[in-house]
Amino acid sequence: METNYETIVIGGGVVGSGIAYHLSERYKEGVLVLDKKYPMSGTSGSTQAWVWVHNKTPSWYAEFSMYSAELYPYLSKKIGDVEYKRTGGLSPFFNESDREKAQKLAESYRKIGIKIKVLSREEVLEKEPYMNPEVAGATYSSIDGNVNPFRLIDMYMRAAKRNGVRYSTYNRVTEIRQVNGKYLVVSDKGAFECKNLILAGGTWSREIGDMLGVKIPVNQLRGQILVSEPLKPFLNFTISGLRQANNGEVLMGYSMEEAGFNRATTLDVIQETANMAVRYVPGLRKAKIVRAFSGIRAMPEDGFPILGNVPGYENLYVAATHSGVTLSPLIGTLITELIMDGETSIPIDRYSLSRFG
Amino acid sequence: MNKLDKTTIICRCEEISCEEVEEVISNGGRTFDDVKRITRCGMGPCQAKICTSMVAEIIHQQTGLSPSEIPLPRMRMPLSPIKLETLATNSTSFSAVKSVLDEVELEEGKVR
Repeated sequence: METNYETIVIGGGVVGSGIAYHLSERYKEGVLVLDKKYPMSGTSGSTQAWVWVHNKTPSWYAEFSMYSAELYPYLSKKIGDVEYKRTGGLSPFFNESDREKAQKLAESYRKIGIKIKVLSREEVLEKEPYMNPEVAGATYSSIDGNVNPFRLIDMYMRAAKRNGVRYSTYNRVTEIRQVNGKYLVVSDKGAFECKNLILAGGTWSREIGDMLGVKIPVNQLRGQILVSEPLKPFLNFTISGLRQANNGEVLMGYSMEEAGFNRATTLDVIQETANMAVRYVPGLRKAKIVRAFSGIRAMPEDGFPILGNVPGYENLYVAATHSGVTLSPLIGTLITELIMDGETSIPIDRYSLSRFG
Repeated sequence: MNKLDKTTIICRCEEISCEEVEEVISNGGRTFDDVKRITRCGMGPCQAKICTSMVAEIIHQQTGLSPSEIPLPRMRMPLSPIKLETLATNSTSFSAVKSVLDEVELEEGKVR
């Protein structure tokens, strides 16, 4: 295998593969993606994979997410069917007291051009007839949707490989050094040299940054999800908490726990998730649960993406974020612009690693 | 096992053929779970109880890994399908589970 590359991406998940693919659209010089296991074995393969804009705060972060959601239809045309569906998103609330909060959210979004409706109980039930009739209302946005994460990453990899990107999987990076103005990346399967190095290690960003003495403050947040047997299509929207996939199975869950890298599923959270699901959609009571799974999200310390040049290092880039599925087409586009043009089409200064001091 | 041809169905629940399994391995997949994530092999109601050994055999044939080096699929609760209501406790208080609107914070009456 070649040992010299123009660019190496560490991490082949939705963020790393998204960058590798977008880079390969414009740039036929050698690109190598290194992954410690096989892409999808971490966060990218254990997600409900909403492409989600509404309810993100502050509104500038929602705007950033909106630009990414807008790229999805084009992405599907370029890399193949990733089962992206812009279903519209529905976030139900069960207490009338939440309506004011929902209206304030809609108001703050109106200023940036994201339309959110605050629905009455009747409007919710008209849109989603299987929703619990005790629902008080919901926020609704037409831009939200979901994607099949496995197809997304598989298609990214296939398209990137067609454009000349090399993947080296089951290949853990053990050491990174700067040598003669280049980066030497030592891995289980040998050492590789590159000019541009992109750190896209997701939940492992902190550990990878440490190899270069760069502090990337990303923590882990566990989420647990239940999967039903395939049911006939009956849910119309991506509901915050559950969605129905193309094959009919319903994915349920919206939980957050600090558990480090422990990916166990636990009965207490499974029970809470079941309670949430039957509260939202009582008709699911009799549905069979086929499996539970959990995933570890990458969560930067302040919750927002860490993107761009690493201050003080030439040709070193970082992309570490929560909501990798939602943001991947935009992050891929922006990091490619940064490398190719030295600037980005929309500003990313506020996402710089330098904000952590 | 040498009777497998490309069209042999390996996963009956999801109707995944031998050829689809082989393709994942030729693209760098090495474990049952890699095959599972890309093809859905083993994701159906039987939860990999039928196809595990056949997939292991294909991995062995293609990569030369010995059976002991091929990890088993990750087994996931509840192992056999059970009704959602069996898991529900009807409690309406939540700690780890959130609603998205819970996460929207107001500051001086305005969204942050």
